[in-house]
Amino acid sequence: MFQPHSYLWHYLWVAPNLLLAVLAVLLWQRGLHKQFRGFVLYAAFQAVQWAVLYPIDLIPSIPAENFWRVLWLSLLIQSLIVFLLISEIFADVFGHYPALAKFGKYLIRGAGAILVLVATVVAAQAPIDNTFWLIPASHILEEAVNVVSCGLIFLLFLSAAYFRLTWRHGVFGITLGLGISACVHLATWAVMANGGLADKRYVLDMLNLATYHVCVLIWFYYLLVPQKVATKSAVPLPEHNLELWNRELERLLQQ
Amino acid sequence: MTLAVIIVIAAFLSLVCILGLAISRSLQVSAGHDLAGQIRPLDVEAFRNLLNPADDAFLRQRLSASDFRLVQRARLRAMAAYVQEAGRNAGVLIGIGQSAMATADPRTAEAAQQLVNEALLVRRNAGFALLKIYVVLTWPTSGPAASSVFDGYQRLNRSAMLLGRLQNPAVPVRVSARP
Repeated sequence: MFQPHSYLWHYLWVAPNLLLAVLAVLLWQRGLHKQFRGFVLYAAFQAVQWAVLYPIDLIPSIPAENFWRVLWLSLLIQSLIVFLLISEIFADVFGHYPALAKFGKYLIRGAGAILVLVATVVAAQAPIDNTFWLIPASHILEEAVNVVSCGLIFLLFLSAAYFRLTWRHGVFGITLGLGISACVHLATWAVMANGGLADKRYVLDMLNLATYHVCVLIWFYYLLVPQKVATKSAVPLPEHNLELWNRELERLLQQ
Repeated sequence: MTLAVIIVIAAFLSLVCILGLAISRSLQVSAGHDLAGQIRPLDVEAFRNLLNPADDAFLRQRLSASDFRLVQRARLRAMAAYVQEAGRNAGVLIGIGQSAMATADPRTAEAAQQLVNEALLVRRNAGFALLKIYVVLTWPTSGPAASSVFDGYQRLNRSAMLLGRLQNPAVPVRVSARP
């Protein structure tokens, strides 16, 4: 059931990518692509990547080396798109608050630089355990990219919670999906890149595919299902605090 | 393989944190917390006294080096408690300001925006100040490190007062004890 080319394997590789292509088209039709440029680009690229890699994997006349060459190239492009999307999310979350706009920029640059350094060290530790170098290199690249993206998304959630920032419904969904995907993929690629579970890698592949499917469904929900009208009404400031603040202002005026 | 195990554990913890934060955010959105009731009054006068550099100089002159460090540690711990409370109140005021930003009245919305900005600055500075205080606690010879929080908290007071007056004009707001 979990073996490559089983029905479940085909479903988990085909369905989420088709759904993502549909989602990109729907976002475009509804004019939401202007709000979620980075995500539409990401969704479209993922669908194109699948449309190229899936047939290459299935057609027996195409040598396996070509699959890994195309995968390697697409991973490089995908990494750039993911980082673009994360920086767009940072700008969206922090950009609405002038007091934090600069802080947000410094945060993503500083944390990004540290995470790239960590990813480089992690990648350098991983063994090249295959004569065809592109296979371990792809695993290591996936691991390194997920170290950076997982770290940045974790930091984003943490800082937004600390500052009690409000998220746009769609942006929150995109970040949640990316965060779940980055965490699970980081764990599985770390195991694969370091030579773990060598005889049961298909289980890790299946876990990656299933997680990705869940994330696509999360994106569908957050981007297409309208947000419930907020019942949040303006919270009046309590009188006892006004009294306290008055006293403080009074003291300031007397200085 | 040890590295892989460490990464797997870190990834799992990150996932738990992200899901926890996402769930708590959803619960906050649907429940609509009693934000105003969460503000804890802060004794600004006592906070100001702790930050007074003259007190520092006085204690340094009168006490031996080891006694000064003991007293300074106690003062820094008290300061950390004040900074924490100021940061916490700023967090609540961010929520109150954000809920008021959607109002139709442009003056109230502007005051709410100002309150949110001031509160964000206080919360950011409180985080940095706490970090500095805990560093200074290890060898407490230098002076206090929380004046930016105190100044910001004063500005936050004024913004909160303005928003309170715009939201609730029926409540008489005294700006001076004298008529």
